[in-house]
Amino acid sequence: MTLPAREGTEVPGGAGQVARAISPAFESLFRAEYARVVGIAHRVLADQAEAEDVAQDVFVSFYRAYPADAPFAPAWLHAAAAHAALNALRGRDRRTRREAAQAVPIDAPAVDDDPAHLVAASETRDEVRAVLARLPERSAAMLALRYAGLSYAEIAAALDIRASSVGTLLRRAEDAFRRELR
Amino acid sequence: MNETEIARALGTTEPQVNTDEALTRFRARVQSEGIAGVEPVAHRRITTRWLQGLAAAAGVVIVASALTVSGVAGSILQIFEPKSIVAIPVTQGDLNYLNQACSGLNLQDCMGAYGTFVWTTPPQPKEVQTRGQASAETGFAVQAPTTLPASVAGSPRYGVINRSSATFTFSADSTRQAAARQNRTAPPMPANIDGSKLFITGGPAVVQIWGAPSGATGATGAYPDIPTLVVGQAKAPTISSDGVTVTELQNYLLSQPGISPQLAAAIRAISDPSSTLPVPVPAELAISHPVTVQAVQGLFVGDNTGIASAVIWQKDGMMFEVIGSFTESQALSIANSMR
Repeated sequence: MTLPAREGTEVPGGAGQVARAISPAFESLFRAEYARVVGIAHRVLADQAEAEDVAQDVFVSFYRAYPADAPFAPAWLHAAAAHAALNALRGRDRRTRREAAQAVPIDAPAVDDDPAHLVAASETRDEVRAVLARLPERSAAMLALRYAGLSYAEIAAALDIRASSVGTLLRRAEDAFRRELR
Repeated sequence: MNETEIARALGTTEPQVNTDEALTRFRARVQSEGIAGVEPVAHRRITTRWLQGLAAAAGVVIVASALTVSGVAGSILQIFEPKSIVAIPVTQGDLNYLNQACSGLNLQDCMGAYGTFVWTTPPQPKEVQTRGQASAETGFAVQAPTTLPASVAGSPRYGVINRSSATFTFSADSTRQAAARQNRTAPPMPANIDGSKLFITGGPAVVQIWGAPSGATGATGAYPDIPTLVVGQAKAPTISSDGVTVTELQNYLLSQPGISPQLAAAIRAISDPSSTLPVPVPAELAISHPVTVQAVQGLFVGDNTGIASAVIWQKDGMMFEVIGSFTESQALSIANSMR
């Protein structure tokens, strides 16, 4: 009789490797950081499905390379989320306005069926994402992390810079963003 | 455009994620693609930096061996294998020179100043949990001290480094360029050295580290991660050469600009260079003298202040070292208790 695989037992892998059930430590890390990783990617991509795909890739990359109890885990995940999302942004084809229109300003009414408003919002989203894609990597990542709600200390840890430099670098990134947005 | 407007421009509807579903998706992917994760280590105290330190230590040992021993590495395919150890006084000037030439002792950069260094099997330090695992990883019986001073408490951490090997090819061009970067002129490299190779192997090795005992860091709190005792054990390194003579290589390397006459003289004074491991000892900072340890001749090295000391010896093809903040008698007692 063949018993089904249980937690902690080895499961044959498709690539000749052996995949184990994920550890409780990794599950805790996933639960603690998943929403935030998606949030960072979403800030860049303005597309939840795409952001969740990026988040899955980010966690897989971490899972392959590092133990879940690594002290740098959150910072690594945050940075990877920003960079992976920016890569996806730069790599994706011009999206339809329908996809961009899924994103609406955070202070906009929850429901707005006015087609003119949707088209205007769509155009703004496209332009903002194009600007993010054009900015230097660190500036774009910094904006994504900051406006996803990370503290200066968390940004410093993610981007491996001094916390005392975050304010200055963030202002430069915002200036660059303004200039690019015209 | 102020921060609020930037926030609005970058604004999106906050994603409402279902973490349970996402975790299920992750699990399914890991299993279907056979993705192996890195297991978390309970009570992990060894940091990435510490493991990098192990690699750096292994590299520095090989560099030190190559730079000082390769000059006397022998004739065609003669193998260097240390059977005894001797202290070589290194002046601050020598260290400054090496630091300049080596860009801070980065292995590739350092060896790159003289030719091409290629790892054929790079060192890959990793942590294991028990002495038995360390023995299994290295293939030799890992010895441990049976007597410890009261200042050493708790259980050790174990790091292992695989048997590593590298090939170094001398290059006259590289040497000229390295010297030029330091505004020096290198002596011409003999034609038969240019292009000749050294084959270097080191390890496997085990490092056992005891941390500061609980509460012991309260005195200053400044260096909580400095270990109280480090015990190293490694298969003796070997170096072979593909065809330059002892005299040629020795003369050439010791004539490099920046090598002090004292260092050159000390290396030339080694009577049996093919079986003697020179241990660089900072001349201004440390003292050293031969000692008897485990019934063989070893070397005691201590700093002038008595804060740190080390005992190094070679026995039965293995190199051992005991390092810590001990008196000479304490260090010898630990070394002699190794079983």
